[in-house]
Amino acid sequence: MPRGLWASPHSVLPSPTRSSPPPGRCEAMRMLLADQGQSWKEEVVTKDTWLQGPLKASCLYGQLPKFQDGDFTLYQSNAILRHLGRTFGLYGKDQREAALVDVVNDGVEDLRCKYATLIYTNYEGGKQDYVKALPDHLKPFETLLSQNRGGQAFIVGDQISFADYNLLDLLLNHQVLAPGCLDPFPLLSAYVERLCARPKLKAFLASPEHTNRPINGNGKQ
Amino acid sequence: MPPYTIVYFPVRGRCEAMRMLLADQGQSWKEEVVTKDTWLQGPLKASCLYGQLPKFQDGDFTLYQSNAILRHLGRTFGLYGKDQREAALVDVVNDGVEDLRCKYATLIYTNYEGGKQDYVKALPDHLKPFETLLSQNRGGQAFIVGDQISFADYNLLDLLLNHQVLAPGCLDPFPLLSAYVERLCARPKLKAFLASPEHTNRPINGNGKQ
Repeated sequence: MPRGLWASPHSVLPSPTRSSPPPGRCEAMRMLLADQGQSWKEEVVTKDTWLQGPLKASCLYGQLPKFQDGDFTLYQSNAILRHLGRTFGLYGKDQREAALVDVVNDGVEDLRCKYATLIYTNYEGGKQDYVKALPDHLKPFETLLSQNRGGQAFIVGDQISFADYNLLDLLLNHQVLAPGCLDPFPLLSAYVERLCARPKLKAFLASPEHTNRPINGNGKQ
Repeated sequence: MPPYTIVYFPVRGRCEAMRMLLADQGQSWKEEVVTKDTWLQGPLKASCLYGQLPKFQDGDFTLYQSNAILRHLGRTFGLYGKDQREAALVDVVNDGVEDLRCKYATLIYTNYEGGKQDYVKALPDHLKPFETLLSQNRGGQAFIVGDQISFADYNLLDLLLNHQVLAPGCLDPFPLLSAYVERLCARPKLKAFLASPEHTNRPINGNGKQ
């Protein structure tokens, strides 16, 4: 099934009309697709195309990413992740686990928004405070791991979910922002290593397409 | 005894959508109201996964995050579209509602006086996607997605009702949204809930602004 992903060369193009455009809202879905052995097409949108063109007006909320699953068009990065979660059985083993996957993903989203605000609106002035407060925001995920198979499995249950890919991406971005930020969290540290060792994901993370793609649209990380 | 408990501040805030859903679905639930003092002084905050409310109990099952709670109730009561495709569209809608809810919250809690004029001026651009969605679904005569109500309808309705208080007439340019709000509010159980003292006496937001 052909899948196309419209994304900027920076994963998501920050629109100048938004106050805090989200950085890298596509790498999680890319990791998911790669790890699930799927291929997809990238339709890269340059800043000029975005600002000048009809694409933005054609997007439901005037934003990217836009995702095509055959003839089915989706917007909103978390809706796309959930759709892929349903498609590939990455949404917990039952309704109870599905709810927990949502609890995790919404927490990841909250921290992603804080990260975006820092990166796009207050990097120099806000970074120190952000890094200082970061342990409090990472701790819930350590707690969740500690409550699930002693942290040796996934963020929820025994099988990988879309929330794992989203959390992993968030953690990888934070390791760039604040190297060592996972040191106080042994389960999260091991979790990141373990997920990154999954063969298809490892290959994707080592690929030029991933390594050459900046995390954020303004060059800050 | 109802299996559902909502643990939250004495406001509509991020819980009125789930309250409307439960009421409209003929469910009863318990409210555990948390005062500001209890929250600031007590062990409850530290016990909450992300240090925030709402907290929701479904029997012995505890959930956090208002949208996770809505999705759980969506699955429980069949309010998540008729198939996977509709489920994805319900998510697209709910995430858009959430985005606007965040902007609303930022206005209310951090910049009401200074920001309201600009916010109201920009509001049509943020409401238009929902009018568009209605226009693409049964000519706007059904729900936001498909033929059956979903958790996204309750969330969108709550958002629109709050905006009608903030900016009366904001739906006038949007005939489908206007009719949609009227139609949903006329649903008997929802109508009764919206007229109830428990709803009408509950402030929309925690700082008295609306």
